[in-house]
Amino acid sequence: MEQLQKLSEAIINGDAKAARELTREALNHRVDPKVIVKDYLIPAMDEVGKRFECNEFFVPELLIAARAMKGSLELINPILASRGDKPAGRVVIGTVKGDLHDIGKNLVASMLEGAGFEIIDLGVDVSPETFVNSIKEKQPTFLALSALLTTTMPSMKHTIDALKEAGIRDNVKVLVGGAPVSSRYAEEIGADGYSDSASGAVGLVRSLMT
Amino acid sequence: MRYKLISCEVFYREMCYTISQSPHQVDIEFLPKGLHDIQSSMMLARIQERIDATDQSQYQAILFGYGLCNNGIEGLTARDIPLVIPRAHDCITVFLGNKERYLSYFNNNPGVYFKTSGWIERGTPGKEFDQLSIQQKTGLELSYADLVKKYGEENAQFLFEELTKYKDRYNSFTYIEMGIEPDDRFEKQTRKDAEEAGWGFQKVSGDMTLIHRLINGKWNEDEFLVVRPGYRVVANFKDTIIEAEPCDSADQK
Repeated sequence: MEQLQKLSEAIINGDAKAARELTREALNHRVDPKVIVKDYLIPAMDEVGKRFECNEFFVPELLIAARAMKGSLELINPILASRGDKPAGRVVIGTVKGDLHDIGKNLVASMLEGAGFEIIDLGVDVSPETFVNSIKEKQPTFLALSALLTTTMPSMKHTIDALKEAGIRDNVKVLVGGAPVSSRYAEEIGADGYSDSASGAVGLVRSLMT
Repeated sequence: MRYKLISCEVFYREMCYTISQSPHQVDIEFLPKGLHDIQSSMMLARIQERIDATDQSQYQAILFGYGLCNNGIEGLTARDIPLVIPRAHDCITVFLGNKERYLSYFNNNPGVYFKTSGWIERGTPGKEFDQLSIQQKTGLELSYADLVKKYGEENAQFLFEELTKYKDRYNSFTYIEMGIEPDDRFEKQTRKDAEEAGWGFQKVSGDMTLIHRLINGKWNEDEFLVVRPGYRVVANFKDTIIEAEPCDSADQK
């Protein structure tokens, strides 16, 4: 298990190469992939989130940790899928129409992926119709919307309105975030949750799962 | 009438030009453009500080050369005299003359950076913002060499790509000519920047209407928010962009 502790450390330090090697080694030693995820990857990403919250880590640290974790998951996920194990939940995520910024959205996606969720990333400048179609097709538990500009924030409301019109608003929990977004705005447009940081998004999603 | 104007320096030429022709006496205080690069709560505090430092017995109102600016004015509070603020998301609305024109231009050209005389002359934030800027604090402005030093060659390549990707989605400069420039130097500069970046170039005519109305006291409700004493600014994310609420409102943020 000492080796696996090293895996956690490799993720926290953003050492993608070491993380992959240690994961491969653990799998070769027949460690249950679920244990790797639950006891080492998820806690590592939680730690990264904590360090980000107290300004010890910044965006680059988060990005490289997420990348290391993804490398690990690429080895683990096919095994889990072949066993029929289900992810913690499915999240459709995207930056709303008119907005081309994606660093925040990518961070949230990575943190949620690190927390064991399946992510369907629709990219940037995503229209309400595209979100609606994706919800219908993928039937996720969560829809996460991002906006960086006050000019594009109304697209969040338009997206929620489009879900209502399509009669699928209650099929999915809608989360919103981005620099100018506030809990007050989230409430006003009828979103189910708001987080002011990528690591906070993980806690939010977990709290809404129960 | 005597007004105080607190304005972002990005409007330097436009405000000075208009004030020189105004029937009113307007005292100007320009604040650095770098306020936009720091956290909105810090921007708010800096502007509020200037309101509070104003001898309000000398003026009938304080005018603002600011839009909502990423919520940087949300919470601004009127003390003894009203605050007058254009209903605008940011300065580009003010340069283009009205919010409808801005929105329609923005919707059709999402990948555009705007340039004006102020954005060119005063576009680089001063040193005092180096450590405070969000870009700096989050590591978004680190150079490739900095990234290599901090995170190693392999991670640096990945990070550089991730952190600059959004810039690839911007592909054009739009130069807004306000009609008060001395010559075509700012247009030439923008064309040069576009050429060097391999970006597109567009030139549009600005519109001084909002600035005229602000300075000359023609504050119609559709275009300006007048915040009475005891009220503060809140973003409403509707077509009117901002509204005023009583300071003792229970729904405090």
